[in-house]
Amino acid sequence: MRGKFLKVAVAATATAMLATACGSDSSDAGDDAAGGTLRVYASEPAYLLPSNANDEPSIYVVRQLYRGLVKYNAETGDPEMDLAESIDSDDQKLWTIKLKDGYTFDNGEPVDADAFIRSWNFAAYAPNAQNNGSFMTRIAGIDEVLPKDPDGDGPEKAPEPTAETLSGLKKVDDLTFTVELSEPFSGFPIVVGYPGFSPMAQACLDDTDACNETPIGNGPYKIDGSWKHDVEINLVRSDSWKGEAGKPAAINYRIFGDVDAAYAAFQAGELDVMYTIPPARFKEAKASYGDRLYEQASGSLNYVGLPLYDESFQDKRIRQAISMAVDRESIVDAVFDGRWTPATGFVAPTFQGAREGVCTYCTKDVEAAKKLLEEAGGWPEGKKLTLWANAGAGHDAWLQAVGDQIKAVLGIDYELKVNLQFAEYLEKADNREFTGPFRLGWGPDYPYLETYLTPTYGTGAKSNYTTFSNADFDSLLKQGDSAPSVEEAIPFYQQAEDILAEELPVIPMFWRKEAAIYSEHVDNFVWNKVAGADYGATALK
Amino acid sequence: MGRYVIRRLLQFIPTVLGTMFLLHYMTSLAIQFSGNPVRAIFGDRTPPPALLQSITERLGYGDPCLEQKGNPCFGLFLDRVSGVFLSFDFGIDLREQEVTELVANAIPYTLKLLVIAIVFEAVVGIAAGVWAGLRGGSFADNLVKISTVFVISVPIFVLGVVVREFIGVKFGNILRDQEWLPDVVAYGFFSPGFKPDYPFASLLIPGMVLGSVALATTARLTRTSIMENIRADFVRTARAKGLANKRVIGVHTLRNSLIPVITYLGVDIGSAMAGAVVTETIFNVPGIGRLVTAAAREGESSVVIGVVTMLVLVVLLANLLVDLLYAVLDPRIRYE
Repeated sequence: MRGKFLKVAVAATATAMLATACGSDSSDAGDDAAGGTLRVYASEPAYLLPSNANDEPSIYVVRQLYRGLVKYNAETGDPEMDLAESIDSDDQKLWTIKLKDGYTFDNGEPVDADAFIRSWNFAAYAPNAQNNGSFMTRIAGIDEVLPKDPDGDGPEKAPEPTAETLSGLKKVDDLTFTVELSEPFSGFPIVVGYPGFSPMAQACLDDTDACNETPIGNGPYKIDGSWKHDVEINLVRSDSWKGEAGKPAAINYRIFGDVDAAYAAFQAGELDVMYTIPPARFKEAKASYGDRLYEQASGSLNYVGLPLYDESFQDKRIRQAISMAVDRESIVDAVFDGRWTPATGFVAPTFQGAREGVCTYCTKDVEAAKKLLEEAGGWPEGKKLTLWANAGAGHDAWLQAVGDQIKAVLGIDYELKVNLQFAEYLEKADNREFTGPFRLGWGPDYPYLETYLTPTYGTGAKSNYTTFSNADFDSLLKQGDSAPSVEEAIPFYQQAEDILAEELPVIPMFWRKEAAIYSEHVDNFVWNKVAGADYGATALK
Repeated sequence: MGRYVIRRLLQFIPTVLGTMFLLHYMTSLAIQFSGNPVRAIFGDRTPPPALLQSITERLGYGDPCLEQKGNPCFGLFLDRVSGVFLSFDFGIDLREQEVTELVANAIPYTLKLLVIAIVFEAVVGIAAGVWAGLRGGSFADNLVKISTVFVISVPIFVLGVVVREFIGVKFGNILRDQEWLPDVVAYGFFSPGFKPDYPFASLLIPGMVLGSVALATTARLTRTSIMENIRADFVRTARAKGLANKRVIGVHTLRNSLIPVITYLGVDIGSAMAGAVVTETIFNVPGIGRLVTAAAREGESSVVIGVVTMLVLVVLLANLLVDLLYAVLDPRIRYE
């Protein structure tokens, strides 16, 4: 007995010594490299039904299972026709959509006009409680299907819908349908690339629960088996797809509950692509993976909003002074390892029509800031500036830096209010209850600069948390919306952005950055500027 | 015996109801004070109110008492209790998955993990304890004593991360370079976490980590118990009778020494469930522990209440079984 135990003990010590001595990093091959299976990181999706999937993990799967009218170019982000033959309009209000012939769902149903109409109607109808219902709000007849809040501020009970289908959707023939919008919108052909606008099969709507577990898609991949909750999702190339075939034969989404556990799996060679990196491991990842780490400026803006419903912030010179007191560059260096980009405008630099340096008040200028504050009559003596952020998301660090700089430059003392959980924080935002500058973020829904303007600064817009309202701004947006083409619309939006830069309802802070790592097995990694990591286009060696 | 069991089972009722109420009250307070979790799904975008309302209602957060701070929501509690006990309906999570289904999916992984942990701690722990106990003061004894102190003093979340990084990633990567090793060892056993391709092999290391703390206690308990019994009168008698050493140790000493150890192992099932919460998150095992961690993070009351209620039942049953086992192991104990 003693002999045996000794042997085990010796073996164990030897093992431990090996482990510590040979700490060299060798990221190695997976077990089934030959099969052409792309193994990717995922966290548990919320839904795989396109009308309900609005979170990142869900969309990453849905985009491979379903295809919509347009897709986005990987490099430029420009929309290209996918299932649509054409999307045309004379007045930007009534759109005629012609579909390409021959596409089918995995169950054999044709992808025709009905497939789109039924999908959009299903998403919009309030009792269906679909997350992407909010994307249908431009289509005529939405108020009957998804009723508006009668009093405009947090309803007791929203009215019952009076119609089940959107009056703006009309079928012309099997492959043609028209969409009437409530207001003209030049960006409509761009918006419909969002996965929430994917078609759905009748069989899918007949049993949405089953379709959520075993999707009936129309895209280049179909599900293999069904969704294994919290474990994995397997996709294989779909035979029914008529377009350009996906590069890997299969995609395996490994579902992780914890991003650190996923990073360990990547280090052990169990994953080919990981679209996110735990922030604490970023430097290490950059050192170990070097050119296999992909970084891309993202369209997500972090901003500090100013509650214009509070009289202290109604003078624009006060807002300009606060903005000029903040040195974004130094905060980025100190808090974000220099990774993020200081914002000098309201539209992401990667977007068509974006310009550098739109916001002249977004660079630090101590003298000018002091002067502006003085002109505006100064800050009330002894009044503290309350800075708001939600708890537990790491925003306190940079917000405190903002507070310190304001204090140093303008002499305004500040306090942090960073103890609210996200849900309560958002309710405060919805109810316009902030008592001072508040941090929030904004990411684009579609690659059109309008996505940064109307939803957040338009008068009465739902996510306009500052209650900014400016008639010139609204009318410029309207002119942009009804311009005959995207190119002609952009100048109007740019002028609207200039108004923001002068009025500063929010102080733009920084643009985030996305990072992904991929394994040695990946031949060419494709990051779509709009949709993120494109697994179907990523080829394996 | 029968009456004792019935009495104990009756005591379950207030315990389970009490736990459920506490959980219900805490999760309701969390919603009352920190807002509707459904709103957080939409993040920076305000959803249309009608949509927010219908999703809130569908997910079971529509009860008006959830907006009154401090209200214990008795009505909602009664609904929940009657749902659970009358129709076995534990509600749905924020993704509209049935809680019973979530648990049914998760439980096989946790059970496997627990079995691995308990077998590991029982076999290795008892063996190490016997080895050390029979040779008090020797090298073996000191080795067991020192190594167990080491294991007990490292919290499981530290041990888990260290094992994952050094054994699963670094050492595993070296092994994965070796052609001669079978895949099940290099890619399964030494995987840094659970892997669907090797559903059993990749659970072994997480199970061992989970069992390690209890293993140390088991080894020490066995060691002390053996040392005590080896000097007992009945052992001396056995030796005096001229019995073979094997029989003296194997039957007379060991059997009597195992009574406290088995009690401990039984009670440990409960704490192993708690340890699974940590281990499953570190090693990405899709079991009950990871489920309840994620639910607590996202504030999904129905999942927290459902899963914890089931865990309470498991612990209660395990404790009852252990108490009954006392009587089997020790004839002096009797239940009336």
